[in-house]
Amino acid sequence: MTRRLPPGLVWVAPALLVLAALSIYPLLYLIKVSLSDARGFTFEHYTRLFQDRLFTVAAGQTLFYALAALTLEFFLGLALALLVDSLAHGRALVRVSLLAPMLLPPVVAAVIWRLIYNPEFGVLNGMLRQLGFHTANLTWTSGRTSAMLSVILVDVWQWTPFLFLLLTAGLQSIPSEPLEAARVDGAGYWRTLRDVVLPLLKPTILLALLLRAMDLLRIFDQIFILTQGGPGSATETASLYIYRTAFRFSNFGYAAAMSFVGLVITTLAARGLMRLMKIS
Amino acid sequence: MRFVLSAALVLLAGCSRSGSNNTLTIAVNAGVEGSALKAAAREWGEIHNTRIEVVELPYANLFEKESLDLQSRTGAYDVIMMDDPWFPKLVAENGLTPLPRPPDTDFLASTLAVCRNAGTFYALPYVGNSQLFFYRKDLFEKYKLGPPDRWQDVLKAAQTIGTGEKMYGYVMRAAPGNSAVTDFMPLLWAFGGDIFDAQGKPSLASPEVIDALRFMLELGKVSPPGYAGFNADEVSAHLLEGTAAMSINWPAWIAAMDDPSKSKVPGKIEFAQMPSARLPGVAELGSWLLAVPSASPHRDAAFDFIYWATDAPQLTHAALRGNPPTRRSVFLSPGLVKKFRAFPAQLAALEGARPRPRTAQWNEIENAFGVALSQANSGAISAEGAMQQANREIAAILERSK
Repeated sequence: MTRRLPPGLVWVAPALLVLAALSIYPLLYLIKVSLSDARGFTFEHYTRLFQDRLFTVAAGQTLFYALAALTLEFFLGLALALLVDSLAHGRALVRVSLLAPMLLPPVVAAVIWRLIYNPEFGVLNGMLRQLGFHTANLTWTSGRTSAMLSVILVDVWQWTPFLFLLLTAGLQSIPSEPLEAARVDGAGYWRTLRDVVLPLLKPTILLALLLRAMDLLRIFDQIFILTQGGPGSATETASLYIYRTAFRFSNFGYAAAMSFVGLVITTLAARGLMRLMKIS
Repeated sequence: MRFVLSAALVLLAGCSRSGSNNTLTIAVNAGVEGSALKAAAREWGEIHNTRIEVVELPYANLFEKESLDLQSRTGAYDVIMMDDPWFPKLVAENGLTPLPRPPDTDFLASTLAVCRNAGTFYALPYVGNSQLFFYRKDLFEKYKLGPPDRWQDVLKAAQTIGTGEKMYGYVMRAAPGNSAVTDFMPLLWAFGGDIFDAQGKPSLASPEVIDALRFMLELGKVSPPGYAGFNADEVSAHLLEGTAAMSINWPAWIAAMDDPSKSKVPGKIEFAQMPSARLPGVAELGSWLLAVPSASPHRDAAFDFIYWATDAPQLTHAALRGNPPTRRSVFLSPGLVKKFRAFPAQLAALEGARPRPRTAQWNEIENAFGVALSQANSGAISAEGAMQQANREIAAILERSK
């Protein structure tokens, strides 16, 4: 008896092959590399993770960076989306203007901000000096405490438009009937926002947060250009440390172990958010 | 099916190296050092009827590309340009071909020493880089200060000029990694310290090293705020803008210092040897080398090119294109000495320059050391704490590499 293959399989086979070649095989290879060294099988790379001060610092800072940037970008994006949605005229123009930072490659944006942040010759301190502020101690990306804030600010500047874009699309997809019903019932702006708009926007909000959170957890390019993880290790993130370990120190096994742990954490966080989406 | 196979073969042929016998692929650093080599390669290609492919990469990416190529034996490059601290790592990966004949004695000994491993030469020195001490001679004269021969003199001069001119007396780079380490090494050596002791164990927690770091922090007080995040660009910008009076710097910046279109203080900066402290001042060596990967499919042509590119006439051309030479005869050439006023100082610095420790783990060691230095300079930890932390981490790196 011969079993016939499902006809659809032939059509999805190329996509499955590409997925296997570009995702599944590299993942299996990553796990293999993380469990081996020159002598053969080892679990040492994973045990080292818990003793490595720099990795702990980098992982903690990555989480802080992601949480801070996500919170700021979400509230700013939502506020802008609500504001633009309420405009009677010129919505398209405002929308295009707000999206401009997102269109720049992150590396280019980082180079521009590096020049802006220069304490002596940068535009930012220059403008503040013109306004009469004392800028001698405003060192931005070079300051021990201000460096993290400065790189988060660049992320917020560049990626708030992404959340704005998704939330605007979500707002426009809300049917007008519930809003009109709320108005007829005498609900004010804030009550309508809290009890009608936000619950209807919840799936879009969760999707936007999920996409942005995954991106933030692998932050690399902006920090690489702006601070290289410094001063000291004040802005060191997990991706930066993994990059250095693999490509500067040629320790691929340890870098693979860190990447795998990062992947597991990101997947678990994404699963949590997706479960929330299903509930909604 | 036959069509798919044919298409795949055509595609594979397209993806394979265009490496016929008439092609030489060269990996160069994006910058003045690489520009001169690119120009030389094109000239050599025309003479030898060979197609030259230049892969130009920023400093941060050049090492990783070269290291991956050497480890995987892909033979993507026929000639590689490398910073001298990378040599021990690349040679340890058995990725470099020994030179077919030893270099001649016209090369400066300090630049040749970093091309050799266990008595065998694997590279030729192309750019003779070593640090120099840049200072504003006009301001030293104005305040009747003696030349900055000792680090204590440097600090006093920085305070005097800083106060008198309302500018920064000194500027240095202390961003984590290479930047902080590079600017600290001359201080470390002058104060009698070293990264490793005679037994090869890390010695950064020694009183000499901690004193050197404390002195660096004193210099930080007369440097621009935020210097703990500075790289070479920021340091040179301060000198070019006339907002800082002194710094350690590299010869690649000399031309800009004398160029009125780039500098607000052209001709006012003097180039001197490293100041001394408990020991005579020593500059760090940062030579660029040329080598041939063992997987290169065109090794004969590649060697022909690197010997040609490092002969005296070609290094003279390279000097005119902005690269400091590695040959004594070129440094002493009257025409070049007349053209480049810093050549005598550069030659003296290069002759006495010290390389970074010759270990395959240098990148990782430099990272741990540089992070600690940057933390101390940003005020996050004390000098003692920073050096104890670096010492522990370097010991762990060495232990893991056994």
